[in-house]
This record gives sequence, structure tokens and C-alpha cells, in this order.
Amino acid sequence: MQEDVIREIIEEEREARELRRRMADWEFINKQPPRIREALKYYIEKDDMRLAAKLAGLNIEEFRELLRKARIPVVV
Amino acid sequence: MGEDVIKEFLEWEVKARELRRRMADWEFINKQPPRIREALKYYIEKGDLYVASRIAGLSIEEFNELRIKARIPNVA
Amino acid sequence: MRREFAIADTCFLIDWSRYRRRDVLFRLFRTVFVPENVLNEVKSENVITWISEGLRSDRLTLYTPVSDEVEEARELIEESRLHSQLPSMDLPEALCLVIGRRRGYIVLTENRAALLAPKLLNRYRNVEVWRALEVLLNAIRYNIIEPDCSNPRKVFDEYCHDTLHIFPSKALNEAIREVEELCRRT
Repeated sequence: MQEDVIREIIEEEREARELRRRMADWEFINKQPPRIREALKYYIEKDDMRLAAKLAGLNIEEFRELLRKARIPVVV
Repeated sequence: MGEDVIKEFLEWEVKARELRRRMADWEFINKQPPRIREALKYYIEKGDLYVASRIAGLSIEEFNELRIKARIPNVA
Repeated sequence: MRREFAIADTCFLIDWSRYRRRDVLFRLFRTVFVPENVLNEVKSENVITWISEGLRSDRLTLYTPVSDEVEEARELIEESRLHSQLPSMDLPEALCLVIGRRRGYIVLTENRAALLAPKLLNRYRNVEVWRALEVLLNAIRYNIIEPDCSNPRKVFDEYCHDTLHIFPSKALNEAIREVEELCRRT
């Protein structure tokens, strides 16, 4: 049963990552300073908001706002 | 007897809140940045120094100094 | 059965505070506890004001964790790192799960690791974790939000629009089916 749960988790993560990649405003992302750009790209791939915020040098609320500007959805 | 104690306490709370509201320097309060302003408003309503200091992001001592500047009495 | 208490972490509150019907949260619970660290993480006027108003009206209550709750949260983080399938969990979310377990509060979070923990970690299997989807669904179940039966997904779409948040398709479809069923019964 745990295997089913894990399979479901992996599938959901894959779906979420695809959505983040597809919906993101890549023009906006690529215009950002390196730190911000890399943090956004990290978030798209790994879905870890706190770590991405730290990478960006922002607090979590600021980073969440940045995600909106970059049209990157939170998929949960 | 418990009911009397509660009734007395609630009446005291109402009076204390009224006093804090009336004596506060609202001009000073409304000029403050949002966090500080909300913390002072919270303190006026609830009289809870600890929670107010958490909202303000200050130590209890620092917030108490602020309370005095805002002319809000500690009614105890 | 409606539950009395919930505990909410930062990522839930900063999105939920943007939702046009955010105050329905307060009709679901007697009070929602807010861990102290949330106040350290929240900066914008909108969120601070909403939280502060909630604290003033006792619809939100500050929660100060004790040292053994923090210790258990650190143990939980270590345990979560042993499961490579589980996304990473940080102290704030771990603390909410610990408090949820110890005190029976519903945990409100948008952190995937916290959402999955009850499914994978035996000790937390009885912790109820809700994201915005479950909050909205329960608000509908308890008639706090009236669904639009001609458009059962409307309530969820509104939230997504206000917050730029997307619900995973499987969970969303299940929620919509439940709303359709509720509509059929009334």
C-alpha cells in the first residue's frame, strides 16, 4: 500500500513540475538578476519554497509574490 | 460565585479597553509602519503585551517603550 | 463533525489571506492557532493587518511552542529525510505537524511534505492535514459557502484566481464530484 502512495506522490510531483514549467513566464524569469533567476528555476524544479526564498535572498512572502509575478503557480 | 468572578472580570476588561482607547495617541499610532500600528491596535484591544510584541517583531521591553510613546496605559 | 481547532503555517496564511472569502476560515474553527514564527515571516501590510485583526477578535490565537515540541519537530525533519520520496520539510511545517499530533488540531499548510507525512510516517498517520482545497470543501459541506450548482468548480476556481494556486487535477476532480453530489441531494 505504501508503494501505491509513493507512486501517486511521484506522479503528482511530475504533473506539478510540468505545470510550473509550462505556465511560467520565462521571459520574465530570464530577465532577472542571477540569484533571483536561479531561485525561480530551482523552485520550478523542486517545489521547495523556503529554500528557493533563501537562495533568492528573500523572505517567504516576498518570494511568493515573486512567483506570482513570474506566473509560476503553487501546485498543491 | 464563579459567575460573579467572571462578570467582574469582563466588566473590568471592558473598562480597561475603553481607557486604553481613550488615552492612546492615535495620531502617533496612525503614523507608524503597518506592523507597529497593528501591534499597538492589538494591544489597545487586548492588553496583551507579549502577543503585541510578537506582532511588532520587538522584544517585550522594546514594545513596552513603544506603548509608553503611544501614551497607552498599562491598566492592571 | 466540525472540528474546534486548527494550526496554520505561513505558506497557508500568506495565500489564504488573498482569497476573497478568507474569513470563512473563522467559521470552520473556533480558533485557528498561529505559531509565533509566522509573525516573523510575514511582512506585507495586507497579511499583517488580517492576522492582527484575527488575533484581536480571537479568531486567531498565537501559539508559542514548548521545547519538547521543537525537539520532536527536529526528529520529524530527520525522519522525513530518510524517505527520499518525501519532499523536504522545514521546522515551521514540522512544528505544525507535531502540534497537530499532540493536540489534535487540524494542520493547515500548503507544504507538500507536511501533506504527505501522514501517508508515509506511521507516528503522524492520524494527523489531519488540510490545504486550501480541503478548507474550501469543508466550508461547502458545512454550508458556510454555498456552491454554484450550475458551476461546481467555481469556488475552487475563485481561489486559484485570487492566489495563483493550482490544485492537483485528481484531488480537484474528486472535490468537484463531491460538490456535484451535494448539489444533487439538495
